[in-house]
Amino acid sequence: MWSYAFKRAATTAVTLLAASIIIFAFIHIVPGDPIYVLLGDTATPDQIDALRHQLGLDQPIILQYLTWAGHVLEGDLGRSIFFQAPVLSVIADGAETSTLLATMTMIWVAVIGVPIGMIAAVRHGTWLDQGLSGGAMLMASIPTFWVGLYLILIFAAWLGWFPSSGYPSIFEGGVLNLRYLVLPSLALAAPNAALILRLTRASMLDVSREDYVRTARAKGIRPWQVVRRHIWRNALLAVVSAFGFTFAALLSEAVVTETVFALPGIGRLVVQSILRRDYPVIQGVILVIVVVYLLINLIVDLSYRLLDPRVELQ
Amino acid sequence: MRYGPSVLMRGVVGLATASFLLAQANAATLLREATIGEPPPLDVMLTTADVASVIGRHIFETLYALDSTYTPRPLLAESDRTEDGGRTIVIKLREGVLFHNGKEMTAKDVAASMTRWGSFGARGKLLMAAATSVEATGQYEVTLKLSAPNGAWKALIADVNGGLAIYPEDIAAKAGNRPIEQKDYIGTGPYKFVEWRPNRYVEVERFDGYKPVKEKGDGFAGARVASFDKIRFIPVPDVGTRVSGVQAGDYDYAEMISGDLYESLSKDPSVQVQRTNAPIFGLFFMNSKQGILKDNYKLRRAIQTALDKSQALRVAFGPKDLWTAEGSIFPNGTPWYSSEGVSNYSAHDPKKAKELAKEADYTGTPIRLLVSTNYQAHYDEASVFTRQLADAGINVQMMVVDWATLLKMRGQPEQWDIFVTHHSFAPDPLLLTFLNASYPGWWDSPEIGSLRAELINTTDPAARKSTWGKIQSLIYEQVPVMKVGDAYTYDIASPKLKGLNPNGPVFWNVSTK
Repeated sequence: MWSYAFKRAATTAVTLLAASIIIFAFIHIVPGDPIYVLLGDTATPDQIDALRHQLGLDQPIILQYLTWAGHVLEGDLGRSIFFQAPVLSVIADGAETSTLLATMTMIWVAVIGVPIGMIAAVRHGTWLDQGLSGGAMLMASIPTFWVGLYLILIFAAWLGWFPSSGYPSIFEGGVLNLRYLVLPSLALAAPNAALILRLTRASMLDVSREDYVRTARAKGIRPWQVVRRHIWRNALLAVVSAFGFTFAALLSEAVVTETVFALPGIGRLVVQSILRRDYPVIQGVILVIVVVYLLINLIVDLSYRLLDPRVELQ
Repeated sequence: MRYGPSVLMRGVVGLATASFLLAQANAATLLREATIGEPPPLDVMLTTADVASVIGRHIFETLYALDSTYTPRPLLAESDRTEDGGRTIVIKLREGVLFHNGKEMTAKDVAASMTRWGSFGARGKLLMAAATSVEATGQYEVTLKLSAPNGAWKALIADVNGGLAIYPEDIAAKAGNRPIEQKDYIGTGPYKFVEWRPNRYVEVERFDGYKPVKEKGDGFAGARVASFDKIRFIPVPDVGTRVSGVQAGDYDYAEMISGDLYESLSKDPSVQVQRTNAPIFGLFFMNSKQGILKDNYKLRRAIQTALDKSQALRVAFGPKDLWTAEGSIFPNGTPWYSSEGVSNYSAHDPKKAKELAKEADYTGTPIRLLVSTNYQAHYDEASVFTRQLADAGINVQMMVVDWATLLKMRGQPEQWDIFVTHHSFAPDPLLLTFLNASYPGWWDSPEIGSLRAELINTTDPAARKSTWGKIQSLIYEQVPVMKVGDAYTYDIASPKLKGLNPNGPVFWNVSTK
């Protein structure tokens, strides 16, 4: 277990190095220049050159990378060109929103997707199963922004139950501010809950066809006990794995939702930063997303072993 | 000590109640404006970005401000006089005007700001290129000496967009050509800068030391009375969210709503529609420095002849209330309106365009049209025109990029033949970007050179208007730019707000009913 964890950590470090080079290269290859965004229409060439020099953007690209990577190793992601603030603080501010949004979304996904998937599997082939599966298909097909706009229209503009957009930090306004995340998390949860529902159903059906399940039923164990003790536990591996990847993907998937709900999360931050070529923020956010993705991947792999001792980690 | 679930629950409820009450208490004096995005630095002297201007004008002020007829009125200035045939301008400042750091504004601050504006300001060189000296000639008196008179000096320094914002002397001197840092956002406006939370909001709060002018508020001029304790400018990029946010009461004001919602929102009692009275106009810049259109005026006229501007305006802006197919660069009803030369504004004559193109020796070489998707109207206009030009046998290839890329590419004359942008309303022709020979497009023919000098150096308003008429004729002859038409943007606000300003989002003299 520990040697596996060590190997995975080493692989993660190499992946991170490769990712950092790719991120840096791609961002700087894209045309566009933050200087023009900052100084606007009428900047003179002298002004442009002076600011470029001040920001170190006139250095060779390799030197820029090495400087940036050196600072990253020291825990400094640089300063935002646009906000004139440390990238770490900009990301930390956005990370609160994105993490809470992703967590609340995963709660919805678990609460909606897993039980309904189980019901569909248990009632396999009935009208209920067909109805739930069809509903899931529909939910997975509807674009998130569309769901989001209708949630805003109905629950914010018409009924006034929840705020339409924005998110003031819970550290400033208390837990009641979580109500700002209810609608966006529901919008984001809809397609993901549908996928988990379908996965739970499929996984349970697969397991329910195993010999040991048939034996358990033949022994006269009550149907619900069969589901709980034999089917569900073994179907859980695939679902947990999907949960892990869904959570990691939400950090980047949330871009549209964060835009529609005007949430100050890191998804919207990275898109806006790309539009204004705020290189340090783009590099910082993508690096953080890669780290989170790799960590979740690692945790999911390690959790296999905890869930099922028969799984060999190599 | 043990804490049971009930204690925990009471704590959560208590915290929630406290935060709710706090939010309610704050809401009473907080105005929340949904902006289209975040501004570049709020150094309004350097940038002409609308988002920065809207926020910045609450913090920073100019010597003069434009009233509702776009006439400059004294704001930080008290009075002025000109000497030496207009070559010397002496401005007397208002006394007792305080900066947000508590220090009084004096002539040294104005001279330092004017010097920086002249060297690095977005509009500064238009006036200050001819300056021989700027001096504080008294504690409250500034003297500007020019090598030649300038008929637009007051309009140039009054413009809210890239005009002469007055900063404290040390801040202006320290910043030089770099954008001013956030900690130095110190002006004389009715609101002072509090904080900029990246991705969340820019917040300003009422400046209790503000000393308004005596005259009644009119346009951007006159008294400025801050009714709200705080204003938050919140970036809300999605237009649907901005609309729903005002309808739901989460925002008090939202900028730049799309044309397709205009009719339904006009009938919606949960919002009030605020249509601007200063139109923006789309511009297609021709490359006068390099490429197929460099000095081929006949081919440019062929392009203009092929187009139906109304069709593009309808696609880009929707209802007829929101646009006018107007060929005059300045809209009808404003002092600079002129009908000189506009007959070929929107001919939509493909046959004649073909003939003109043939006379211009055009053989179908692709014409590269640079446009961004960040402004939907730009893309819509370019798409309509590309199709119309194809009907006239003119081969246009759209190069669609994002705005940051366009900003860089348009400075490289080898990259494009036409690029698309828009222009906000200008109070004086000298503020039009295409009259600036160093602006991408680089229109600098001998004819415009002499007319531009005439426009700058003439001080008589009637003579200047006559010169402007000649320039507009030349624009339709040499076609350095094509005007698409006038588009009236609109904002929406809570029905509770009163005193809204049709000149643009401004929140002084605004209060709740």
